[in-house]
Parts: sequence; structure tokens; C-alpha cells
Amino acid sequence: MTDKSANKKGWTKKALYAFLFVLVLGGAAYWYIMNEKFDDTAAAQSAYTVSAQDLINAYQSNDSLANATYREQIITVQGRVTEVEAADTTVNIKFTDPVTGSYLIFDFQSQHVADAKVVQAGDSVSIKGSCSGNIFSQLRKAHMISFKRSVLVNKF
Amino acid sequence: MKKTVLVLSLIAFTSVLFAQTKKTTSATVAFDATTALDALPKAENKTVIAEIDTKTGQVGFEAAVKNFAFTNPTIQAHFNEERWLNSDKFPAFTFMGKISDVTKYNFSKNGVYNVTVTGQLTIKDKTNNVTAPATIEVKNGVLTATASFTIVLADYGVQVGNSGKIAGEPKITVSAELK
Repeated sequence: MTDKSANKKGWTKKALYAFLFVLVLGGAAYWYIMNEKFDDTAAAQSAYTVSAQDLINAYQSNDSLANATYREQIITVQGRVTEVEAADTTVNIKFTDPVTGSYLIFDFQSQHVADAKVVQAGDSVSIKGSCSGNIFSQLRKAHMISFKRSVLVNKF
Repeated sequence: MKKTVLVLSLIAFTSVLFAQTKKTTSATVAFDATTALDALPKAENKTVIAEIDTKTGQVGFEAAVKNFAFTNPTIQAHFNEERWLNSDKFPAFTFMGKISDVTKYNFSKNGVYNVTVTGQLTIKDKTNNVTAPATIEVKNGVLTATASFTIVLADYGVQVGNSGKIAGEPKITVSAELK
């Protein structure tokens, strides 16, 4: 075997290993992304803790600023529940401004739905969830500030 | 005093029972763009605003794009990013429509009504006509509405590419309990 062909064989081997390495790395990254799930919100740290009325007020006075602060953040909200509404097989909990009709609404993470079902209108609670920001509803002429993957922290 | 409370309660109850506009803020919209290659692009939004006027047949839905909950964080991020739904700029989906031939149905009577709803669906500021069959079950003044239809994402400026991992015509399923 000449030096030239031995050298070529060495490079081929290295290229093959590099290819296999990239393939395994890519496969592992793909597997990780495909199997990734959201963490349990109960274990997540809140970026802010606010009262329900203060949060509604923040959105009513300047929704762009409120979205810049709260949207995509885990927020703990404290207040008196105004309504518990059936949502398919689960329930949503609402805090509504009695004057304007603007409201906060919380959809619960599947493992925490049972806790939400015992809450009734008038209860004082603390709820933690992922804030999705607001939309101004043309149907209700009010702000809807929605939360997903929520968890009941306390019922006072 | 007791009589007054009783009468007021009765008025409140009957006004809810016979209200012309039935409403909820907890309708559910499920989005399913899964394919044989990828089971992840599907989500539910359970905080959708819905209204049906039982006399005129007017139907309205409003959903916050960012409140569609996926199981997978990466897919949820893709769904909201600029080249997909661009939810920072276009935060809501809306549907405004009407039940066809609404005078044919008596929604004050208990029963199951198979109706057709036609209207305009707006996503990313692009509006297209949608017609879908729907079922409305009336029980003691409460309407339970369900509908299922597909949309063409390209009609709303959303290009899914040709990897075959995301359906270009996802299935939308709506369910709502309106009071």
C-alpha cells in the first residue's frame, strides 16, 4: 500500500466518524425536542405576584406596557374569584372588573384541574399560571387577559 | 322581604333562561395539524369567547392566539413566531358569522339541531369565508355547540413547507357551552 492510498483511507475513516458523530448528535437533539414537555407550573418560580384588580388595571391603563412586563411570564395572581366556568371537561377561573367587564381567565394544567374544580365564586385564592397577554374583545368590549397551564396555589 | 327575593330570583333565572344572546368565555377550540410524520403540532385553547344570538342567528368567536396550549414548548414557540401566526402582531383569531335559515330552528325548545354556520374567519389580518356544519343541543336554556372543519393555512399567509410534518389543512374543532 502506498503512502497516498493509506492517507486517503485515513481521511475516509475520519470523515465517516465525523458523519456518524453529527448523525448521533442530530438524532439526540431531535429526540430531545420531540419529547420535551412543559414543566409542572407548581414547581416554577413566579416572576411577579400581583392582585387580580391591579393586573386588570395595568392592562386597562396601558396594555402594551403590561404585555411587555407580564406576557410569557409565570405570574401569581391573588384575588376573589368572580366566576368558575365550565370549559369542556375542565373549568376556568375568572376575576372580573365589575365596572368595565375586563377579566383575567385561568385555564389549568391537566394534573391540577381537580384542585380548580373545588373553587367557587367568592373564594379568595392565589393562582399561578403562564400569562398569554391580552386581547380586546369586540364582542364583550373589554380586555381578556388569559393564562394557560395554571395551578391553584392557595385557597384562603 | 322573602317574597321580593323570590320574585327577583325568579326574574333573574328566567332572564338567563330566555336570554336571546347565549355567551361563554370558556369555549374550546382545538387545532390539529398533525401528520403521520409528526404528532406534536396540535393544541387547545379553552378560553375562547363565544356568543350566539338565538333569534338573529349571529355567531361570534374570539380567541387569543397565545393561549393555545401545546404539550411541546418548541412547537408552541414555532406556532407563535413571525413566519407562522406572528401572535405578537396579530394576537387574536376571530370568526363572525351566522346560522343559515335560523328561522327554521326553535332554540327555546330542548332538542338537538343540526345547523350550518357561514361567516368570516380572520387570522393574521387575512379574512376568508368559512362554512361548517354544527350541532347545537339545547337543554333547559343552555346551548352546547360543536363544530368541526378544516382551514387552508396558505389562505391566511402561513406557509408550512413540504417536509410533510405539518398539515397544510389543519382540523379545527369547536365546542362551547353557552348560557
